[in-house]
Amino acid sequence: MHTGHYISGVGHVALIGWLIFGDVFAAEPLPFEATTVSVISGSEFAAMVAAGRAPQSTTEVAQPSSPEVTPDAPEIAATEDPVAGQTPPEQAQTPATEDAPDVSDLAALPQADVSDQAPVLPDPPADVAVLVPEVSDRPVPQAAERVAPEAIAQPDPEARPDPVEQEAVTPNASGETQQDPAEATAPEAAATEIVTEAEQPSAVPLQSARPPARRPDPPVQQAAQPVEAAEPAAPAEDTTEDAVASALAEALAADSSAPAVPQGPPLSAGEKDALRVAVSSCWNVGSLSTDALNTTVVVSVSMTQDARPVTSSIRMASSSGGSEQAARRAFEAARRAIIRCGAKGFDLPVEKYGQWQDIEMTFNPERMRIK
Amino acid sequence: MRLLGMVLAVTLGCVSPSAGSAQAQGDGPLRIEITEGVIEPLPFALPVFQAETADAPGLAAQISQVVSADLSGTGLFREIPATAFISTVSNFADPVQYADWKAINAQALITGAVAVQGNQLTVKFRLYDVFSGAEMGSGLQFTGTPDGWRRMAHKVADAVYSRITGEGGYFDSRVVFVSETGNKDARQKRLAIMDYDGANVQYLTDSSAIVLAPRFSPSGDRVLYTSYETGFPRIYVLDVGSVQRRVLESQDGTMSFAPRFAPDGQNIVFSLSQGGNTDIFAMNVAGGGATRLTSAPSIETAPSFSPDGSQIVFESDRSGSQQLYIMPASGGEARRISFGPGRYGTPVWSPRGDLIAFTKQNSGRFHIGVMRTDGAEERLLTASFLDEGPTWAPNGRVIMFTRESQGAGGRSSLYSVDISGRNLRPVRTPDGGSDPSWSPLQK
Repeated sequence: MHTGHYISGVGHVALIGWLIFGDVFAAEPLPFEATTVSVISGSEFAAMVAAGRAPQSTTEVAQPSSPEVTPDAPEIAATEDPVAGQTPPEQAQTPATEDAPDVSDLAALPQADVSDQAPVLPDPPADVAVLVPEVSDRPVPQAAERVAPEAIAQPDPEARPDPVEQEAVTPNASGETQQDPAEATAPEAAATEIVTEAEQPSAVPLQSARPPARRPDPPVQQAAQPVEAAEPAAPAEDTTEDAVASALAEALAADSSAPAVPQGPPLSAGEKDALRVAVSSCWNVGSLSTDALNTTVVVSVSMTQDARPVTSSIRMASSSGGSEQAARRAFEAARRAIIRCGAKGFDLPVEKYGQWQDIEMTFNPERMRIK
Repeated sequence: MRLLGMVLAVTLGCVSPSAGSAQAQGDGPLRIEITEGVIEPLPFALPVFQAETADAPGLAAQISQVVSADLSGTGLFREIPATAFISTVSNFADPVQYADWKAINAQALITGAVAVQGNQLTVKFRLYDVFSGAEMGSGLQFTGTPDGWRRMAHKVADAVYSRITGEGGYFDSRVVFVSETGNKDARQKRLAIMDYDGANVQYLTDSSAIVLAPRFSPSGDRVLYTSYETGFPRIYVLDVGSVQRRVLESQDGTMSFAPRFAPDGQNIVFSLSQGGNTDIFAMNVAGGGATRLTSAPSIETAPSFSPDGSQIVFESDRSGSQQLYIMPASGGEARRISFGPGRYGTPVWSPRGDLIAFTKQNSGRFHIGVMRTDGAEERLLTASFLDEGPTWAPNGRVIMFTRESQGAGGRSSLYSVDISGRNLRPVRTPDGGSDPSWSPLQK
């Protein structure tokens, strides 16, 4: 019954005894260098330090006695060293003297205009007390009337303020343009957060390294070329790919009642982000109440195929976090953002129209409350 | 292979009629979340209001100017200059050409008309959301006397502000303050009252005695203030309409100061200094004894009620440095809410109840700041040689305070700032000014 206990007890006793008497943990001391020190008293230390100090000058100093000089100098016998066996060194040849260079063509140095008059120096500035500003460890952004997700430098004064940046379109020499003439537009200067008077400005980049989103130029319409009647093609070789493709085409063509809406693959993260940034640049929450800034609204909108919002389709799908009045104000700000920045069409891929024909945008101002 | 194609065609043909709609219903609309926006003044266009009677053009122009100044002065709106207008508004009833206003990026359009008939002035206006192509609310009309044209202009601006922002305005309000003249060592002070924008200044007292810290009653009809008329600080209550005043009951050998009305307008809290100790007391403004609310050897002063009247925020140096505390309105245990570096004082509870404004002194500078009622989210809005004495606008969005410049010739003046720290601007007064107290909106 207790066999296990007995075995365990014996084993433990053996282990403990081995640890005590077996000298298991006795390790050789690590090598080290020892320096002999001696303990001295305070008075001895003071005396030792005093001995090392420079002596103080005193006026009465015992003069050393002059050394005794013996009147008779010892005689020194001069003897010649033996030179036998040594040969004199050979005389080195002197190099031939070089001809002096011809300096007749050199122009004479101009006469330096040196005046004896001392130069007149400007008056030194008067003494001015300079207040050293308090330096904060935390970089503080530049103040600007407009606060935006990304800092924007002062735009070209010629450019008309507009959320969508656009270069000016002017007629060429012949007075023709491929686009309608338009003036340049640029977003207004902006900071990334509100900077109060209590915060000191510091050197921060005025413009994001990220290039601003720019709409691609519209495709140039080519003049329609007459198409020659093509001869009937020879029947292609029957392959699996052709069979699948033709089957898909036939199947999709069978639903002839529905309008042709290109579905395309889902929008990429970059395409969604571009849409998000575009709407953000027009979503102005500066005039919203604090209650409205606590309200998240979901806004649904239908889009035309040229990526413009259908104004009449914009409606509030839901809201949360605030009163009904606050939700209404928050919705109005969201609607303005969609209409304003969508007036020229969002940058969305036409071939994926089916993916963004209907959009639900959630406007969440949580991060804007702490700007 | 041909057989495979036929099979695929049949299979897809069977499912294709519902494939498109199924995908649309299954995936639903494209969903994105917008969490970053911009904070910038909203551009608005305000064509000069139409004069509907022969003697109205002058008032129409003045009213338009005041409405525009009110809105622009908030920092939330920016007026588009009339030179940029494409459309003109020749008749108040004409339909709006939204495209013309969109083209100049006017997001709000305000049209109005003014008529004077005898001693009656009528001002009406409409507000449009240009990009939505719709009117915001219905048209509104105010009627009064011609000499009240500024108030009517303020009321139009309040209505526009409220419709766009969703919160109450503050333009039709007044400020009582201490008007200051003379140098620092011989400064003369007297109570004055003015419109919120510095217009219509009227004096309530003469400068024979030093006056301090006037405070409006919740209804705006009375003012509490402290005067050194007797040589010691005493609390007075003044009727704004009749300019009649009376001293509130006080004990001999004491100094009473820093009064403030309770939200009910019947009771007040104030500081009373006796025997070198200062505590907070409450009393009925009609008379009667004072009730002690604090009892500590430290200095307790600058009490301010919460909007619901249930709590009082005050300053105290009971912890060794001047900090802010909140206690029940009936007195009792107080909890400290300020913990940052420096000293905190003159706390004032926001009319909305969500924030407390205060003065802070730290590292040789004074600040006006705001914090939540639990002390969280402290934010300093200003910084200068001396900023102090904040007071809230009726809508709790703007703070007015005193700023004093440095040096022997330093001057006190009034400033206002948005609670976000934006739109810091001086308030125009004829002389120096200090200790402002903002009234509620006028009826």
